Amino acid sequence: MKTNDGPKTGVTNDDARRDAVDAFVNSLKRRRHDAPAKTMLPEDIEIVTRLVERDEDPAALFTQTATTVGVNVHSATTADWLDVVAKLLQEHQAKDAAIPPVGDGFFEAERVEQLKQRLVADGVAAKSETDDETLFSVDMAITGVAAAIAETGTIACEARPIIARGSSLIPPVHIAVVAAEQLLPDLCDYFNVLSKRSELPADASLITGPSKTADIEGVLVTGVHGPATVHVVLVRES
Amino acid sequence: MSAKKSDFRQRIAAGMADRRVIRAVHQATFHKVETVADALSLLRNHQELRDLAARIKQHTLENLPGYLEQFISACERNGTRVHFAADAAAAREIICEIARVSGSKLAVKSKSMTTEEIHLNEALEAAGVRTVETDLGEFIVQIDHDRPSHIVSPIIHKDRQQIARALVRETGCDYTEDPTELTAVARKHLRDVFRHCDLGITGVNFAVAETGTICICTNEGNGRMTTTRPRVHVALLGIEKLVPRLRDLPVFLKLLARSSTGQPLTVYTTLITGPKRPADPDGPEQVHVVLLDNGRSEILGGPFIEVLRCIRCGACLNACPVFRNIGGHAYGSVYPGPIGSLVTPLLSGIVAHAELPRASSLCGACRDACPVKLDIPGLLVKLRARTCNRQPLTKRMGMTIWKWIMRSPTMFGCVQRSMRWFLRPDRDGWISNGPGPAGEWTKVRDLPPPPKKSFHRRWREEWADED
Ligand code: SF4
Repeated sequence: MKTNDGPKTGVTNDDARRDAVDAFVNSLKRRRHDAPAKTMLPEDIEIVTRLVERDEDPAALFTQTATTVGVNVHSATTADWLDVVAKLLQEHQAKDAAIPPVGDGFFEAERVEQLKQRLVADGVAAKSETDDETLFSVDMAITGVAAAIAETGTIACEARPIIARGSSLIPPVHIAVVAAEQLLPDLCDYFNVLSKRSELPADASLITGPSKTADIEGVLVTGVHGPATVHVVLVRES
Repeated sequence: MSAKKSDFRQRIAAGMADRRVIRAVHQATFHKVETVADALSLLRNHQELRDLAARIKQHTLENLPGYLEQFISACERNGTRVHFAADAAAAREIICEIARVSGSKLAVKSKSMTTEEIHLNEALEAAGVRTVETDLGEFIVQIDHDRPSHIVSPIIHKDRQQIARALVRETGCDYTEDPTELTAVARKHLRDVFRHCDLGITGVNFAVAETGTICICTNEGNGRMTTTRPRVHVALLGIEKLVPRLRDLPVFLKLLARSSTGQPLTVYTTLITGPKRPADPDGPEQVHVVLLDNGRSEILGGPFIEVLRCIRCGACLNACPVFRNIGGHAYGSVYPGPIGSLVTPLLSGIVAHAELPRASSLCGACRDACPVKLDIPGLLVKLRARTCNRQPLTKRMGMTIWKWIMRSPTMFGCVQRSMRWFLRPDRDGWISNGPGPAGEWTKVRDLPPPPKKSFHRRWREEWADED
């Protein structure tokens, strides 16, 4: 290991840093040399791990599981989804809302445009910026999702060049619009999808319910750091 | 050593005397045990799943150098910088250096037992970096200058009045005892911190060798905040946290939350693969992983290797009748409860913590609760054996005599008969003052009087000729 160039932690010296890591792994190798590995890596793990079969109706199951974890699920069709979203905005008396970029799951260009127009018509400011000023002040965020998981009532939000992590995290209310085709039966299915990608997103977050704590005397409270309220609008082809 | 021992006894006596803490811990754990049992009953292959989890982890540990290599090169591909820390001091030094080089002044931490293990907060503060715990429970612990008492529910020992007083003192808010309002106060206070922080520090629940992905599970969302808001993210990773493949994760994720709190999945399960891509709107510009050894490679090569399978779900704490009666503080170690009684002596010295593995009734409730099938009682006995020769001379002599008696049927019979003489019940029918050395034992327990006839004799008289 080089000791004289730069501090010994190697934080500012990539070579020293890598040398230290390699030296450790090599020392482990030498130490474990004569202890033969006995346990095989199980291959067929999905047989045991899968809880929901592919032929089950994921929409019905998702509605049930998501409700159990505290998500408000609203069913809609491609014809009336805007009304469902608009009604939620009204119920929360939102003055403004962060809106999704084009290409965020359900939100094709035309749908983003429709959403914008509807918000303006209803007197809600539609914010497409994702800077701190916006995300820390808006009343709610509307987003698409990368996938949803019926087994656990989970929505998956992935960071992409157009999609900010903060949108599904910082505002106090989160409305996620999920196309029925995006539903996966089991958690295993999501990981199978991820495994097949050539590149993983820098952040993929599985969100199962509103932000929660039971730290104070075991009493359940929502909205500690993430949204206190999560709505999923589940849209079927009409 | 004897000073340590009496410390330990005193802490236990104090723990047993604190009715309020006992009630709080009882209430919280009993409720949890029920929810967890319900959640696990919905897993149709629960036992097979535990078996699978245990095997995947065991396999990874037995082949750790190879998987570490894989993980490290995947990280380098993703742009994650990997550091190595041989011990707690080295880890502190690296993290402080990262803070210094990146010019960080305000650090946020999401709950992590591993950072507790290296006592990071004090070091960062000393280096001029304000460090704020963001898990609600850990935040209360921090502003109250207390210590966490449970690996999943850090303030299980506090009531709402204590929490309210701490928050009023720290934030100047109006006094309230309502948990929802108290949480809102903390949220508001910590939002401001999240908005301006520049360094995020997390532990890691699982690290995937094939992709260099780290997985962080939180319910409050502080894990996701900590990996989203600051410019720099440092993840402290105990080398035992590796799993081989991305598709192994569901096995553990399905067990972790169900065994821990009875949820199907923690609310936020965040998978981080490298720093933000150049065009991503938010996320950290730098991701550092600090690989921590701190005694783990020693365990890896020895008979206690299984201990490293632990996924820190806390189920063994909730299942344990001892823990439920004294809470976590009496253990006097970073990792409390059954798993702590194994990990603490193994990581920080068997001799210094010789009492911990002995403070268990070996009932086995923890083993049955553990999602990775750790044989905690069996391992505790193995650990006890390691410090046998450090027991007091009288105890060792006693054990030798005991062995001698137990090996000879004649001796055994003699002693059995004489016991009826020595052990006289009190008026209530129990023996609460044993003679001689037995007095120590009966100080805290009562013994039923020996029966009139021994089992041997009854067998001979009543059943022996029946077959
Ligand atoms: S030993 Fe088992 S039950 Fe205890 S925390 Fe670890 S994984 Fe959970």
